[in-house]
Amino acid sequence: MRGVIEGGWEFVIAAYAVTAAVLGLYASSILLRLRTERQRAMKQVP
Amino acid sequence: MRTAGQSRLSLASVALGVVLLVAGSYWGLARAPPEIFMGDVQRIMYVHVPTAWNAMLALVFAFVCALMFLFTNDWKWDNRLEAAIEMGVVLSILLCTQGAIWAKPTWGVWWDWDPRLTTTAVQVFAFGGILALRAFAADPMKRAVWSAVACIVAFADVPIVYFSVKWWNSLHQAQSTPDTVSSAFHWPLRINAIGILFLWTGLVALRARLGALRLRGELAPPDGGPPLVTR
Repeated sequence: MRGVIEGGWEFVIAAYAVTAAVLGLYASSILLRLRTERQRAMKQVP
Repeated sequence: MRTAGQSRLSLASVALGVVLLVAGSYWGLARAPPEIFMGDVQRIMYVHVPTAWNAMLALVFAFVCALMFLFTNDWKWDNRLEAAIEMGVVLSILLCTQGAIWAKPTWGVWWDWDPRLTTTAVQVFAFGGILALRAFAADPMKRAVWSAVACIVAFADVPIVYFSVKWWNSLHQAQSTPDTVSSAFHWPLRINAIGILFLWTGLVALRARLGALRLRGELAPPDGGPPLVTR
């Protein structure tokens, strides 16, 4: 017991993976919703 | 034409944010030294702290948008308000998740009802509640006014989150400054903070555009005539 945390790379990888997944999924959801909304708006144009 | 240019600018901002985030994370994971007590686990700070700063910035922007909408009644501020709240909630949830992953090896628990964590949880539910409120309100004007007022009320929690570690005895460490952090840790923190800033500003601009398109559809006359709102 040295008062120093040893290892813990699994937590580091988990934190970065969660960050990439959350930001990536949110960005993808915006781009998909925007494309859908643009297509809907185009259909409404007479 | 103007809209296409704005969308390209927003996408460029998102792309620049991703590049900076990858560079900062590489620096934090591969080049920065481990911290003397926390070891490699401290590397989580290179994404956790920039996420916290940017979550607060997004909610400050939401507060400004709420005030601007109430003063001007201009729909673009309502679209930006919705986008900024959504971004602030996403970043706040991400912040809590990263914090829990860091807390387990350092504190021994995933979560503790400490002042900083509790006020951050309140922040998530308060602003998440505004998004729920917007989903239930059918009338665009009522939805905009109610959510702007609710945002101003919910924003009271944001400075409480920031000062909670100073006001109360907290398990969470107090804010760091460049003087209290080793210079070896500065650059990954700064690069990731700027990267997330570019990322969320680009995403908020795109999300506001999405809101504007939806609003135009909602306010369009049923006979298919020209929309009442073109912003």
